[in-house]
Amino acid sequence: MTRTFRVAGHLFSVIMPEDHPLAGKMAQYGPFEVGDDAGEPLFTVEIVGSLPDIQAEKVYGGYEEEGEPVIELSKTDDTWVCDMAVCKGKPVCARMHSDSSFSRGRLQILRPGEGLFGLNNALMLLFAFRTACLGTLEMHASVIVNGGRAFLWLAKSGTGKSTHSRMWLENIPGSRLLNDDNPIVRVLDDGTVEVYGSPWSGKTPCYRNEHYPAGAFVQIRRSPDNVITRLKVLESYALLYSSSSGFKSDTAMADGLNATFEKIISRTPCYVLDCRPDADAARVCSAELIK
Amino acid sequence: MKVKQGFKLRSICGEFIIVGEGLAQVNFNKMISLNESAAYLWKAVSDKESFSVKDLTDLLLAEYEVEEEVAAKDAAAIADKWIEVGIVEA
Repeated sequence: MTRTFRVAGHLFSVIMPEDHPLAGKMAQYGPFEVGDDAGEPLFTVEIVGSLPDIQAEKVYGGYEEEGEPVIELSKTDDTWVCDMAVCKGKPVCARMHSDSSFSRGRLQILRPGEGLFGLNNALMLLFAFRTACLGTLEMHASVIVNGGRAFLWLAKSGTGKSTHSRMWLENIPGSRLLNDDNPIVRVLDDGTVEVYGSPWSGKTPCYRNEHYPAGAFVQIRRSPDNVITRLKVLESYALLYSSSSGFKSDTAMADGLNATFEKIISRTPCYVLDCRPDADAARVCSAELIK
Repeated sequence: MKVKQGFKLRSICGEFIIVGEGLAQVNFNKMISLNESAAYLWKAVSDKESFSVKDLTDLLLAEYEVEEEVAAKDAAAIADKWIEVGIVEA
């Protein structure tokens, strides 16, 4: 069985046996599903029963924070190996082999109870890597839409991105949540910076197949006071760089991401919001962003 | 001295920054901003086997109208700075 999805305008397919246990668990992908005739997918992930043993050299892994998913990358000349675990100290629950262009992944589920976690992370990884040179960023952010524009809150896990979104939903009229963890940002041919919902939204089930022009990128920082400050060019760059998925040790990927960061910074304002987790923070922020 | 592996000079909207992008620097989480003359020096020496403060001084003299004494002082200061932040090894 092959199912095809379009996320942020990019097509990808998932291939699995008809009776695979994951087949019935992909509701979050439903809003993004398209017909078989939608076109050639950028990449595919096939769920397989086993993978060959290969000796690959580790290139990334082990820097995750406590409680965060663990992704380890290793590679040979022509194959990338990605081992995934739910968090530090847990066994590897899924392994993917991908070709070096990130067009074809084969995924083995090692712990059936964590199969969806494995599939989600395999798809997110290939999506980020495959589209890095296509003006596309997979970002770690919570996104509020207001007045037809998307506002992204960026910070490390646990800082208060989702909380700040909740403050907008409760206090700023006309606010909606677009995505709570992994939206996609694209620079279109005319230079517009567009923000898309995705099938990946962390712990909040918010899988909207919608897109809006970006209003602002806002770093969230905990503080006793609510103050919003516009970021300069290099601060903006550092913010986008640290909030975007991708493997920056791969030169082609780094070049692609860099070009996208530069286009975004030249068009869209970036800010830092020093804030408390309260309604006043949303008011201070919206007063600056929605003028 | 020589530039450590894995550092890349990036130009963003007319400004210059060095980021640790190579595998050797996968744990390097700082960004170093450079002014125009520092970026010029970095470009000139970053793929060299090794370079000296004298090389930096000569590069400054070739590009800018400064006294040799001033260029030598600036070159020494920037070399110290690069070593201090960990992007160049002595």
